Amino acid sequence: MSTHTGMAAKRKAPENTTQAASKKRRSPTRVNPALYLFPLPAVAIIAFFLVMPTLQAFQYAITDWNGFSAAFNYVGVDNFVRAFTKDSLFTNALTNNLKFVLLVVIAQTVFSLLLALLLTKNSRGNVVLRALFFFPTILSSVSVAFIWKFIYDPNFGLANSALGAIGLEGLQGSYLGNNSQALYWVAVTQVWFHAGQMMVVYIAGLQAIPRELYEAAEMDGANKWQQFKSITWPFVAPATSIVVAYTTVQSFKAFDLILGIAGNPPKGSLDILSTRIYSTFANSEFGYAAAQSIIFMGMIALVTWLQRRLLRLTPKGE
Amino acid sequence: MSQISRRQAMAVLGALGFGATAAACAGPGGSTTPGGATGPAAPATGDITGRVSFAHWRGEDKAVFDELIKRFAAKYSGVEVVQDISTSNDYNAQGLQKVRGAAIGDAFATFRGAQFNNFSEAGIYTELKNSKAVGNYQKGLLTAGQSGDSQLGLPYQVVFPMPMANTDLFDKAGAELTPKDWDAFLGMCEKLAASGVVPISWPGGDVGNGGQLFNCMIANNAPVDDMCSQIEQGKLKCTDDWFIKMLNQYKDLVPYLQPNATGTAVEPAQNLFSQGKAAMLATGSYHIAAVRNLGATFPIELVFPNTSTDGNAKFEGVYNATFILGVNSASKNQAASAAWIDFLSEPENAGYYANETAQHVSVKDVEYTNADLKRLSPWLDKKTALAARFQFQNLDVRNAVEASATAVISGSSPEQAAEAAQKIVDERL
Repeated sequence: MSTHTGMAAKRKAPENTTQAASKKRRSPTRVNPALYLFPLPAVAIIAFFLVMPTLQAFQYAITDWNGFSAAFNYVGVDNFVRAFTKDSLFTNALTNNLKFVLLVVIAQTVFSLLLALLLTKNSRGNVVLRALFFFPTILSSVSVAFIWKFIYDPNFGLANSALGAIGLEGLQGSYLGNNSQALYWVAVTQVWFHAGQMMVVYIAGLQAIPRELYEAAEMDGANKWQQFKSITWPFVAPATSIVVAYTTVQSFKAFDLILGIAGNPPKGSLDILSTRIYSTFANSEFGYAAAQSIIFMGMIALVTWLQRRLLRLTPKGE
Repeated sequence: MSQISRRQAMAVLGALGFGATAAACAGPGGSTTPGGATGPAAPATGDITGRVSFAHWRGEDKAVFDELIKRFAAKYSGVEVVQDISTSNDYNAQGLQKVRGAAIGDAFATFRGAQFNNFSEAGIYTELKNSKAVGNYQKGLLTAGQSGDSQLGLPYQVVFPMPMANTDLFDKAGAELTPKDWDAFLGMCEKLAASGVVPISWPGGDVGNGGQLFNCMIANNAPVDDMCSQIEQGKLKCTDDWFIKMLNQYKDLVPYLQPNATGTAVEPAQNLFSQGKAAMLATGSYHIAAVRNLGATFPIELVFPNTSTDGNAKFEGVYNATFILGVNSASKNQAASAAWIDFLSEPENAGYYANETAQHVSVKDVEYTNADLKRLSPWLDKKTALAARFQFQNLDVRNAVEASATAVISGSSPEQAAEAAQKIVDERL
């Protein structure tokens, strides 16, 4: 304590003696202007590639600009009203997107947690299996889309061929051609694509749990479920927050996967917000597409915020 | 070096930010036409030299264009043509944005219909009315490249978006190739099915290719020739009797399509046909080269699904004049670009392109040596309707109207499918 006070006194001393000179040289509010040059490239890049386009999107969203003509009108909030009241393609895409997000978030969280629980031990077999499950993550989404497009093909696809080979012809189907099922099959692809990545997040969480806790629980007679509920889950809960948030944003933006697997434009049952915005741009409705993009951005922000509010999963004691 | 306060620094950054904001809020149309497309004046003249970017979407024709580029360069020393190729979907969606500044696409191609109109409105075309090239084309086929009195583009290809037929399978089944009415067409399908093959391979999972059948189905059903324009304008409706009748005829096709046709992409549909498992491929003549590459060796003909019910069909088939060539008004090298278009339009070069790619062209006096083109050449003289789906200007409307046919194949009732399509048309009116 005395040392601390002594040092503070030492720091103060020069101010008392050469006050004016010191103020000019060492004022915390005056810095070398050259220092401000360092963040400028980053600021310029962010302003040019992020801030300006975002501001422009807001401006375009209140116009009827077609994307190439010099002529345009300011239409106020008409584009936003149109999206929700006069455009069944947009509301259909919105519904599909919410359904897709919900499906993928639930399935991917459960599946990746299960994988992590099964493969968390560092045995040689588990390492190989982890690599196998992680493998899809290193592929590009377009490759994944094309692989699965052909798996689902009703005539030459692997899915129907496999079912036929084991005598289950009755279960063969059209998959992507069936409006009521198509979204579920694409959700399966999305889960396959990213579950390995999420599994790694969970494995990291699981491997951080001290083994002594399980040993103590076993000695106390706790069964596997009780161990999971009282030890494992509290420790992996923060990882779940990450997995859910990441999966949500990823599912909202599954543009490349949907376009690759369903074609352009995707049919109604597979049209999600990002593909709808793309179609609207392609249809030379630039202003309206910008309005849709802003709605999309707002939705992602809202869902992310809600998740942060509702899913504050932290280990006990924190 | 003088020093500035944090407040001063923030003021400078704030001013920069304000400037950026002000720049962002400039008029949308104003600053986004780099190069300044100037509208349909004739291409500038000058030395035929320098670099020409040729933008298009036909990746499958790259080698053929490479050879033509070599020949062009041999004719004009110092000229270089490079191909900027996108996929057709990308080109459809982004072609205008890519070409407008002429960073690429000194010479370029467009699809007929909505894309050609968008390019025209954007002032990207130069006037080719008085060009050397235009005189080489068959007059009647140039309309797809016209806007008012101007000849902005030159439709290069003539394609027949009608089902291709494996005539060996037709002969084996004893099925006729030229059904005079709808019952005869269904009878033909029945014979083919009875012979153990899939009568029609249809890529219902691929919007672009699956939609071509619509051209055939609507041609003789609609009360007017500009039926799709009138649907888009609200003058005709999908819920009209003639449209419902067409959807019912789509329903008649269900037993003759491959199983789960609405989930079939174009490549598997091509394979069914190429492998002799399907007698027809319901896309168009533009797929001849693709099915040949897949190993098809049988003779190919075209079949028109004649929807007439009394045998008095107005049209015997459908055609499309597309791959519309143009010279970019914003190009810095218009002289060489126009020369490249002239070169492609010479009968000898157009003939080389046609025979190597198995595509008919709209250039006059072309000698077709390709066996498939020779066989199908009589279609050039038949009474064919210009493919109707390209009349749509709004892609959402086009997709919705065509999707009604797919919905019927999936099991929806024609009335329900028509109402769903009309709802989207009404929203876009």
